[in-house]
Amino acid sequence: MTRTGTAPGSPAPAGARADRPAALPAGPRGGARFRHALHAEWIKVRTMRSTRYVVLGTLLLGTGLASLNGASSGDEYASLPPQDRSAFDPLALSLRGYILAQVTLALLGGLVVTAEYGSRTIIGTLSAIPHRRRVLAAKAVALTAIALPTGLATTLSGFAAGQAALKGAGAPHTALADEGAARAILGGALYLALAALLGLAVGTLIRSTTATVTTLFTALLIVPAFGPALPGRLADWTARYWPPSAGGQIVTGYRDPALLDPWPGFAVMAGCVTIVLAAAFLVFRRRDA
Amino acid sequence: MIEVRGLTKRYGEVLAVDELSFTVRAGEVTGFLGPNGAGKSTTMRMILGLDAPTSGTATVGGLPARAQPAPLRAVGALLDAGAVLPGRSAHHHLLALAAGNGIPRGRVAAVLEEVGLTRVARRAAGTYSLGMKQRLGIAAALLGDPPVLVLDEPLNGLDPEGIVWIRGLMRRMAAEGRAVMVSSHLMSEVELTVDHLVVIGRGRLIADTGMAEFVAAHSRREVAVRSPQAAGLGPLLTAAGARVRPSGADGLTVTGIGAAEIGAVAAANGVELHELTPRQTSLEEAFMELTQHSVEYAAERGETR
Ligand SMILES: Nc1ncnc2c1ncn2[C@@H]1O[C@H](COP(=O)(O)OP(=O)(O)O)[C@@H](O)[C@H]1O
Ligand SMILES: [Mg+2]
Repeated sequence: MTRTGTAPGSPAPAGARADRPAALPAGPRGGARFRHALHAEWIKVRTMRSTRYVVLGTLLLGTGLASLNGASSGDEYASLPPQDRSAFDPLALSLRGYILAQVTLALLGGLVVTAEYGSRTIIGTLSAIPHRRRVLAAKAVALTAIALPTGLATTLSGFAAGQAALKGAGAPHTALADEGAARAILGGALYLALAALLGLAVGTLIRSTTATVTTLFTALLIVPAFGPALPGRLADWTARYWPPSAGGQIVTGYRDPALLDPWPGFAVMAGCVTIVLAAAFLVFRRRDA
Repeated sequence: MIEVRGLTKRYGEVLAVDELSFTVRAGEVTGFLGPNGAGKSTTMRMILGLDAPTSGTATVGGLPARAQPAPLRAVGALLDAGAVLPGRSAHHHLLALAAGNGIPRGRVAAVLEEVGLTRVARRAAGTYSLGMKQRLGIAAALLGDPPVLVLDEPLNGLDPEGIVWIRGLMRRMAAEGRAVMVSSHLMSEVELTVDHLVVIGRGRLIADTGMAEFVAAHSRREVAVRSPQAAGLGPLLTAAGARVRPSGADGLTVTGIGAAEIGAVAAANGVELHELTPRQTSLEEAFMELTQHSVEYAAERGETR
């Protein structure tokens, strides 16, 4: 019980740890920083099974939907009345896959944090890095590093597949150099990254995977789809200002005067994601693990 | 060294930890005991900065958790052994933790080796047994080679081999000069391993004492005696200076004098003995007596955890 004796040959007194085997080299000067947290989150998001499925699924859905959309709408083009032909939007048709891609990427964003609560690994994460803002910021950056390239690959391949299908059907189509194409492809990719960040923010606020999935489905799919069924003014408002609906204008070529223009619409979505993400930071900082 | 001063945590109506103060010293294994719901896990979570105290402080090496430059190098913890993402391998689980604290990746292989998981390190952690997950949890605690270890009920649900391993590990860590804090709701789990005891009930400190002092104060020697003439033997032993309690039809529990003296009294009086067994009352009983009040209080209030 008394282990403070220092008789010759006795084990090192309490506190002296010099002769322990395999001593760890000194750590980074000034302690662990944001880049260490980012490295940790990057390893985690890369080694989450869902990441692979989401990246592949997003690409397949985005490209597949563009091809199908292009082929079927292209076939219909010939039979359209002239007034509808003026609203025919080859750009939006080829990028319509964003509707599903935003959901898969938002789910990935949600999982980045809800999987930690579900599996309780949040305990280890926050014991290693007790700075909550650092952890959430690192998650956001690591997630964006996956979501943005995936989004860009999705809009690019969707554009290529969709335009090829339209061309094949003999309908109007757009080239990469045409007006609006670059904006829709790059803006669409940014929109998809925003959807992922929205998922992260919602997941952080809600913590439960199932409730997060339900919330994201509602916000991204159900409200935009059933908005027109709402009473008059509300239906118009939803179509124009509901953030995912407004943000979706970024992939369109045809200008509907009842809806926002591409960049203003995108700004509404970006503003909404910023607010929800700010709320997530506030809540995450104060909450017990 | 862990220093807890006036630590208090309130969850709404529940006062989970109430003005708790104690110290966990380097070179010792400190047992942190209390019945279920006493506030052990909550206290440990506050030490690690996972839960914010309502009031009071908890520091490791003089710093609160959020002020640690690299927390894993200051304190290693096993709070929830099942906490792994099922699809992620032990290797990647540890690699991410190490990266977050700027711990070189070579250390991951070293701790995996130390806990005996090298062979399965690349397998999805969801396929691990409870014992293997526990070892992974210990590996995570050892990653930063920390001078302080905090283990919450590390023996829960382990097979005997795992229990022996963790006990040995705790002794080894203390012998290397580290401070080890281990919680349990069973005295028997830790009585052979710990140097110091901190006992809490209902969030309050009940005892803060060396294990040796606790044993000296609480373990009573007694002798179980059985005899067909028990009724007659009782008064004879009392006359010889013993305290005697009847136990069953033909049994006596004797304290105050030893088995040899009891045997001598019986022989001198021609009393036939069927049993003469020296016993030590268990520390578990002493522990339960100590915490009984807090448990009863909880039961009265209809609380279950
Ligand atoms: N997050 C929480 N919210 C509300 N009450 C809690 C929470 N965590 C613990 N408690 C309560 O605090 C008390 C102490 O719990 P705990 O620290 O888990 O005890 P122990 O680990 O000693 O079994 C219990 O009454 C428990 O119900
Ligand atoms: Mg507990």
